[in-house]
Amino acid sequence: MAAVNPEADSHTDPRRIRTLSVWVIAALMVAFALLGGTLRSVVYDSTALSTAGTVFAGIFVQALPFLALGVVLSALLAVFVTPDRLSRWLPNRPSAAVLTAAASGAALPGCECGSVPLARRMFGEGALGAAALTFMLAAPAINPIVVVSTVVAFPGQPQMVGARVGASLLTAIIMGLAWAKWGRPEWITRRLPKPAANDTPRWRAFAETARHDFLAAASYLVIGAAAAAALHVLVPQWVFEKLAGQLLLGVLVMAILAVVLALCSEGDAFVAASLTMLPLVPRLVFLVVGPAIDIKLFAMQAGIFGRAFAIRFAPATFVVATVVATVVGVLVLGGGA
Amino acid sequence: MSRESENTLLLLIGVATAMIAVTGIFTRYVKAALLPWLYLTAGVLIVLALVAIIGDIRGGAASDPDHDGHGHSNRAAWLLVVPVVVLIFLTPPPLRPQASVPSVSAVSTEALRRPFPPLPAGRAPEVSVPDVMIRAAQDSAGTLDGRLITVTGFTMDDDGKVDLGRFSVLCCAADARLARIHLDGPAAAEAGRLPEYTWVRVEGTVLPGAADGDSSLIPTLEAVSVTEIEAPENVYA
Repeated sequence: MAAVNPEADSHTDPRRIRTLSVWVIAALMVAFALLGGTLRSVVYDSTALSTAGTVFAGIFVQALPFLALGVVLSALLAVFVTPDRLSRWLPNRPSAAVLTAAASGAALPGCECGSVPLARRMFGEGALGAAALTFMLAAPAINPIVVVSTVVAFPGQPQMVGARVGASLLTAIIMGLAWAKWGRPEWITRRLPKPAANDTPRWRAFAETARHDFLAAASYLVIGAAAAAALHVLVPQWVFEKLAGQLLLGVLVMAILAVVLALCSEGDAFVAASLTMLPLVPRLVFLVVGPAIDIKLFAMQAGIFGRAFAIRFAPATFVVATVVATVVGVLVLGGGA
Repeated sequence: MSRESENTLLLLIGVATAMIAVTGIFTRYVKAALLPWLYLTAGVLIVLALVAIIGDIRGGAASDPDHDGHGHSNRAAWLLVVPVVVLIFLTPPPLRPQASVPSVSAVSTEALRRPFPPLPAGRAPEVSVPDVMIRAAQDSAGTLDGRLITVTGFTMDDDGKVDLGRFSVLCCAADARLARIHLDGPAAAEAGRLPEYTWVRVEGTVLPGAADGDSSLIPTLEAVSVTEIEAPENVYA
């Protein structure tokens, strides 16, 4: 974005068009300020609308600090670490690079929203691309905060924590290797802005990168949060309760719910722990699928990597995570109760 | 969307975050512990927006986004109007008992039973509704037995009887679960006369071994006093 482009003003009167949309925003704000009271009472009077509004605000506000952390890190990465340097640090063999990236996922404390823009900045040719995607999937699931909250949510069941970390790592590694083998760079249709000109001060380049990454990620977070809020209100509670004892159906429904509810990976363990009517395996699936792919992550991937990438990568992640979590769950936790 | 509008929306998101943090409205949506991070986030976003705005004014219109290969990609930034409107103007209310969310269910099994830390000293220490449920189900040290406690929550109708409810939130409102305990005893009738979703502070003792069903317990509080209160600052436990 900081690309200093001397021809920028060659269009006919672009300034008027550009200030026009600022005026549109200003007019919208004034309109909502005037209508605010009426709209507020409409929302308040409807349980469905106010629940959806609160859940939307909850997901969005909860994600903001992590997104801010993610874009600050990704901007630091963009300014101080060139892709060449990053690939020099990583092992050359894709498999070794993927394993390194999976293990380093443990170092980013936070939930999944921050890791998408960060992975986009790390993304590069060959082994680097696979490593970035592995990191994106591993970081939200195995970092210390998530591990601790899982320990707290499942007291006396350390095998649940082990199964979660193991299945999430395995999912991330499989997806990384799959990208190294079958991934095509042309699916990544979203281009990063040109790097800043050399004479731009570093802090300015940092601010521009962070600004760009935040805007891209946050606008798609809005879609994801809104979809999750709508489904929160629309998926009836009895769905949870009718599934006791049906392993395969339970696994499938919990995998879909993980996508639909779009919970933060720091809190999802408590939700899974509260669904006591379900066996442990479907709940493990919920915990492995959710941080890897959900509706808000899909929207953010589409916005930051490109639609062609997201419609291939997201369903593949969903299938791999569900299968891996089920297999690990049956092996570690036992098939039934 | 033009670069100026993007900057405006970035600034507005920062301002909206600061506003819900200052007014305490954020406790309707996320855990109170997030407050310092919200201030930090608001600061980061406002600074990023101001750096871009001031830089553009000083450098003229040097960096026009339509010329750096983006095409229409940033049209999605218009969506950021939604959270600005929701957080500044709509401010949806805290979850209410009618909301369809899962319930806290405290399972009592031998494997989960362990001694809990003792309650704070004092005549009637404050214990949250979910904590009462967990302790009643899993505490092998019996810290609730015969102890007068204070529980804050809202009244809920339970087939003619009255329950005390409170939402438990671990991360954000999306993971909210409803915790409830039954009210009984001399002051329960008083609570029953209040309209549903009235905030009250109840003093009482938890009846020992009041099982409701076999695996999940809903404890009963023998209430001795019920005081109507304003909604607490942290609406969720």
